[in-house]
Amino acid sequence: MKVDNTFGPVDIAVSGMRAQGQHMEVISSNIANARTADAGGGQPYRRLETILRAQTEGVSGVVVDQIVGDQSPMQRLYDPGNPQADASGHITMPNVHLPAEMMNLSIASRSYQANAALLRRYQRMVETTLELLR
Amino acid sequence: MINFDPNVRPLVSPAASGWEKIAPEGGSVAPSAKSGFLNAIEAAGKYVSRVDDLQQASDASIQDLLTGKNNDITSVVSAVAKADVSFKVLVGVRNKLIEAYKQTMNMPL
Repeated sequence: MKVDNTFGPVDIAVSGMRAQGQHMEVISSNIANARTADAGGGQPYRRLETILRAQTEGVSGVVVDQIVGDQSPMQRLYDPGNPQADASGHITMPNVHLPAEMMNLSIASRSYQANAALLRRYQRMVETTLELLR
Repeated sequence: MINFDPNVRPLVSPAASGWEKIAPEGGSVAPSAKSGFLNAIEAAGKYVSRVDDLQQASDASIQDLLTGKNNDITSVVSAVAKADVSFKVLVGVRNKLIEAYKQTMNMPL
């Protein structure tokens, strides 16, 4: 576990920003497709989830390990007039819940801000150290 | 990725190479006396090329971003932050070296 790298914090904070950016991309896809009844193959859009993983053991950055589908059941909406409705008058809609997505979005954006704040604070720290040279 | 040593050991530890040839033979300077200053200059010279590498990497990433080859802005941030920090280190060390040189040269003999 090596922690004497001067640019370590920069790399780690940037990896966090990148991972949260990708997370935000996934969330935006979920929100945009919250009412997509056909996401190819006739199936409704399945909500996507980001799984993060540490780059190495110990002190490390973060990467998006995989993006997997949410296995929770699709929503069933009663809409008898819809041509896609089944015999009981229900249509299948994506398992995306907008309030939950908004919370995930807040978490992702705060996490991104936290990583950016760390980067800025670290840069200021290095500048403070260099001030000692003068 | 550079991994510069934050302590100044390379600056004060005299390396044997180079100085003996420059030292005047039979002069008042003993051959065993080695200059830390020359080594400091040499180390700074080597550091310049690493700083230059980082600057060019940051330039390249900005170019890639602007030409659309790469749309990952965080990698640009990372490259620019590294180039910025290393350049500030270089400027700080260079200022200190020049100040030390000037102080030595202005010493009344």
